[in-house]
Amino acid sequence: MTYAHRMRERIVGYLVLTAIAVGLILPFVYMLSIALASDKTVAENAFTVFPAEWVWSNFVNIFSRSIVGRYLINSLVLCVFAVIGQVFVSSFVAYGFARFRARGKNVLFMILLATMMIPQEVTMIPQFLIFRELRMIDTLYPLIIPNFFGGPFNIFLLRQSMMRIPLAYDEAAQVEGASYLRIWWTLILPMTKPILIAIAIFTFSWNWGWFTGPLIYLSTQSKFPLALGLYFFTETSVAGAIPPWNLIMVTSLMLAVPMLLVYAFGQKYVYTANIGSGGTLK
Amino acid sequence: MGRSIAKARVTEARWFWVFVAPWVLGFLGLTLIPMVTSIVMSFTEWDIFNPPRFIGLGNYVELIGNDPIFAQAIGNTVFYAIVSNVVVMAASLFVAYFLNKSLRGINAYRILIYLPSVIPMVAIAMLFRRVFSPNGFLNQVLALIGINGPAWLLDPDAVLWALAIMSMWGIGGSTILLLAGMKGIPNALYEAAEIDGATPLRVYFRITLPMLSPVILFNLIMGLIRGLQVFGEVFVLTRGLGGPDRASTMIVLHLYNHAFRYFNMGYASSIAWVLFLMIMVLTVVVFRSSAMWVYYESEVKR
Repeated sequence: MTYAHRMRERIVGYLVLTAIAVGLILPFVYMLSIALASDKTVAENAFTVFPAEWVWSNFVNIFSRSIVGRYLINSLVLCVFAVIGQVFVSSFVAYGFARFRARGKNVLFMILLATMMIPQEVTMIPQFLIFRELRMIDTLYPLIIPNFFGGPFNIFLLRQSMMRIPLAYDEAAQVEGASYLRIWWTLILPMTKPILIAIAIFTFSWNWGWFTGPLIYLSTQSKFPLALGLYFFTETSVAGAIPPWNLIMVTSLMLAVPMLLVYAFGQKYVYTANIGSGGTLK
Repeated sequence: MGRSIAKARVTEARWFWVFVAPWVLGFLGLTLIPMVTSIVMSFTEWDIFNPPRFIGLGNYVELIGNDPIFAQAIGNTVFYAIVSNVVVMAASLFVAYFLNKSLRGINAYRILIYLPSVIPMVAIAMLFRRVFSPNGFLNQVLALIGINGPAWLLDPDAVLWALAIMSMWGIGGSTILLLAGMKGIPNALYEAAEIDGATPLRVYFRITLPMLSPVILFNLIMGLIRGLQVFGEVFVLTRGLGGPDRASTMIVLHLYNHAFRYFNMGYASSIAWVLFLMIMVLTVVVFRSSAMWVYYESEVKR
C-alpha cells in the first residue's frame, strides 16, 4: 500500500471513530443538560441537547426534594452484602470442587455448570412463594440471601484458578498442621485475589443496576434501591403531572457514575477474568 | 495400611461435602425444588389465595390456542430479539474494524465506545424516555437533516425499533469480544494478504470476518437468548404497560403481569416453561455448533 493510501485509511478511521464516539456520548450530554435544567424548563419541556442552564443546586436539593438518600443507602446495603456473600461463599465452594476427591463430585460439577443454562424465569415464581412463606416480602432479604449460596459462574471461575495453584502449597501447610479451613482462608483465598476482585466488581455492578428483583419483591418506597427508586420518580406523580426530569437525570447520573468509576479502576481484573473464562460480558 | 487409606478417603469425601454444602443447599432450595414446583404449578389454576386446582394441560392449551396477547408477545419478542441482535452485531463489526487499527489514541476511542455499556439499564432507559419523546433529542437531531421522526414510544409501529435503537448503546460489550477475537487471528494470514496486495476492505471480508464467524455465531445465539428474556428495558420505557396498544408486550412482561399483577401463578408458570423450551432450543444449537466456535490453530478445518 502506498503512503497516500495509508494516510487516507487513517483519516477515514479517525473520522468514523469520532462520529461513532460522539453519537454514543451525545445522549449523555443531553442527560447532563436535563440534570442541570431549572424547574421552569422542566415545566415547559424545553430541554436542549447542550446545557443552556447550570442549576448545580439540583445535585444538592435532590436530597431534600426526594428520598434518594434512602435509595442510596438501600443500594449500598444490597451491594455490600451481595458482594460479601458471593465472594466468600463462592470461594468456599470452589475450594471443595478444586481440592477434594469424593464420589459424585464430577456429576455435581456437571449439575453446577448446567444450572447456568437455566433461565431465571422458571424459578422466579416459586422463589417468590418461598420468600413469601418466610415472611420476607418487602424486605431486602430475598435479594441478599441467594448470594450466600454462591453463584455457579463464580464458583466455576474460582475453581479454574484454584486448579492452577500447585498442590505443593497445600501439602506444605498440611505438614505444618493446618486444617482445610485454615488452608482455604490463609492460603487459597489470598492467592485468588484478582479473580475475587473481578467477582466483587461483577456482583456489585449487577446488584447496583438490578431492576427486576427489587420490582418483584419490594413495595414500600423507602425500601427501594436506587435503580428501582429512579424508575418510580415517574410513577408516583399525580396523573398528568410532569415528572421532575431534572431530578430524574441527576439520579440517573448518580446511578451511572459509580459504574464508570468501578470499571475505570477495576478494568484489568475484569479483563483477566473474562479472558480466563472464554469471554462473557453481561 | 489399606484401612487407613480408606479412612483418609472417607474423611476427604466428608470435607468435600462440607465445602460444597452451601451451594448444594442453594441448588436444592432455590433451583431444583422451585423448578419441580413450577412444573407442577403449570398444571394448575392457582391465585395464591385459594387452594390450587389441577387442570392438566389446560394452561398450555389456553396459552397456545386462545391467548392473543401471548401470540402478540411472542411475535414482538422474536422480532425485537432478532432486530436488536442483528443491528448490534452489524454495528459492533463495523466499529471493531476501525478499533482494530493501530492508530494513535485508539485506546481513548475504545474506552469511549465501551463506557456506555457499563451504565445500568434503568439509567439508560430513563434517559431514552426523553430521547424518544416527540420533541426529544432524537427527533431534534432528525429534524436537523430534514426528517420528521415518529413519536417513537407512542407509535405502535415505531416502539420496537426504538427498543432496538436503544440496545445500540450496549455495543461496547460485543465490540470488545470481537476485538479479542481479532487479536487471535494469526498474523501470517494478514502478511500473506499484504504481499498479494489486497485492500484493507477485502482483507476484512476475506480473512477477518470468516475467521471471526464462530465468535459472531456464538454471540448472536447468546444475544438471542438474552433478547427472548427482555423485560426491564420494556418495563421502564413503557411504564410497565408494554404499549402502546400492546405493541411492545414481551413474553416475560406477560409472565410478570400474570404472576405479580393478576396472581395467576399456574398460568404464569406455563408461560415460563414455554420460554424455557424456546431458550433450550437455542442452547442446544450453541452446543451443537460448538465444534465450529472452539477453534484450535493446529486443527485442520474441514
